[in-house]
Amino acid sequence: MTRGLWDRETVALMLLAAAMPLVVTWLLATGTAGLVRLIFVLVAAGLWHLAFMLARAQPPSFSGAFTALAITVLAPVDLGLVPMLLGISFGVVAGELAFGGWGRNVVNPATVAITFLGFGFPAASWPDLPVQLGWSVAAVSAIGGVTGVMSWRVVAAAAVVLAAGCWGLALEMPVLTAAAVVLVLLVCDPVASAGTTLGRWLYGLLYGALVLLFAVGWDGAPPVQAAVSAALIASLAAPLLDEIAISLWLARRKRLG
Amino acid sequence: MAATEGLWNTLTAPLIRQNPVTLQILGICSALAVTTSLDTALTMSISLTVVVVLAAGVISAIGRHIPASIRLIVQIIIIASMVIVIDQALQAWFFELSQRLSVFVSLIATNCIVLGRTESFSRSNPPLPSMVDALGSGLGYSLVLVAIGSCRELFGSGTLLGLQVFPLADQGGWFTPLSLMLLAPSAFFLLGGLVWAIRSLWPEQAEASEFPAHDLGEER
Repeated sequence: MTRGLWDRETVALMLLAAAMPLVVTWLLATGTAGLVRLIFVLVAAGLWHLAFMLARAQPPSFSGAFTALAITVLAPVDLGLVPMLLGISFGVVAGELAFGGWGRNVVNPATVAITFLGFGFPAASWPDLPVQLGWSVAAVSAIGGVTGVMSWRVVAAAAVVLAAGCWGLALEMPVLTAAAVVLVLLVCDPVASAGTTLGRWLYGLLYGALVLLFAVGWDGAPPVQAAVSAALIASLAAPLLDEIAISLWLARRKRLG
Repeated sequence: MAATEGLWNTLTAPLIRQNPVTLQILGICSALAVTTSLDTALTMSISLTVVVVLAAGVISAIGRHIPASIRLIVQIIIIASMVIVIDQALQAWFFELSQRLSVFVSLIATNCIVLGRTESFSRSNPPLPSMVDALGSGLGYSLVLVAIGSCRELFGSGTLLGLQVFPLADQGGWFTPLSLMLLAPSAFFLLGGLVWAIRSLWPEQAEASEFPAHDLGEER
């Protein structure tokens, strides 16, 4: 606590607290099966955090629980035990822990795990998110935005694009629900998203635009897979968006002298 | 005796200690492209090893007579002729396999391992050590290709060299193929994991940290 209240773990705990409305809604909708799945993913991800703490003295993080939550809600459903373990391990290790832990990773570990499972087992079916999960996102993003752990700019930019898509392209409810849940669980992760003000606007816009693109052009794609793919591509583009924002700022500084 | 020992060292150094793929990160393009199954990986390994050994022998034999200013052109012509011979031989006797390898056998001509060995070693050494050195590099490349190729084929389709090893789930067995293994990204992941494993076991291979992490002492 010597550097103030806001260290990495505070952010992780705040993210978890913000996600609580979504967790409760999801558990009410799925019942015991959902709880078992959540505990299984939590244990699997937690063991990897433990292993890296013992092997590399890397402090474990509560962000692992947030990752586990995202994997539980969004990963393909009818996979066996071994594929699930493989996907979680790959996402958590190669997506986050190998880089030195939460805060040093390039993309969100949950995004990596879910995409890995989606490409690795294309026959697996994707979850149908209950509609009320989409509404809980409003509460999640409100708490995240007010406490500052989620960027309200990203949420606002994505919401504007999705609303425009709703009005112009008549997006269906499952697509909107998946896009909203992925927005708070994967896209708003403070580590993988853009860091500059302009970069965050662009990042949210890019995510929304990709969701629209996939909704229109990707025939037969399950809504969750399309939204997760949009999140992956957007987070890969995030450093570029930051770079653009910084270059623009430098150019303006130079012009003003 | 000392000479034999030197040759043995030249041969074995590129297997792990100086492996061209995992330490020098050379020849990645072909190593990723042909490893979807073990038979293509093996064919590619053998082709590359033969080309690099023959090219090293020829270049080392005529090395003194090549003018320095055009040596790269001459070396590439020699290498490319070997590659064409190998490619034609594959097309003549293993047509189906050569179709699956598509352009990658012809691209051995541009492989960094071949040009690297001829340029840095064969040009200034006698034929025997040059060929042994080239053989070592070829075997080091083959080792990585075979390891990644067998891993990808085994977990991607449950077979090895076309023979069923794991019984598939849709034929009554227990194994669900990991389709990702047959796509290009898996080769990157496997190669990255292999490099990570090797550098953990032999830490002297690891590169110096480019961006040292600042001190986190106070936060703990």
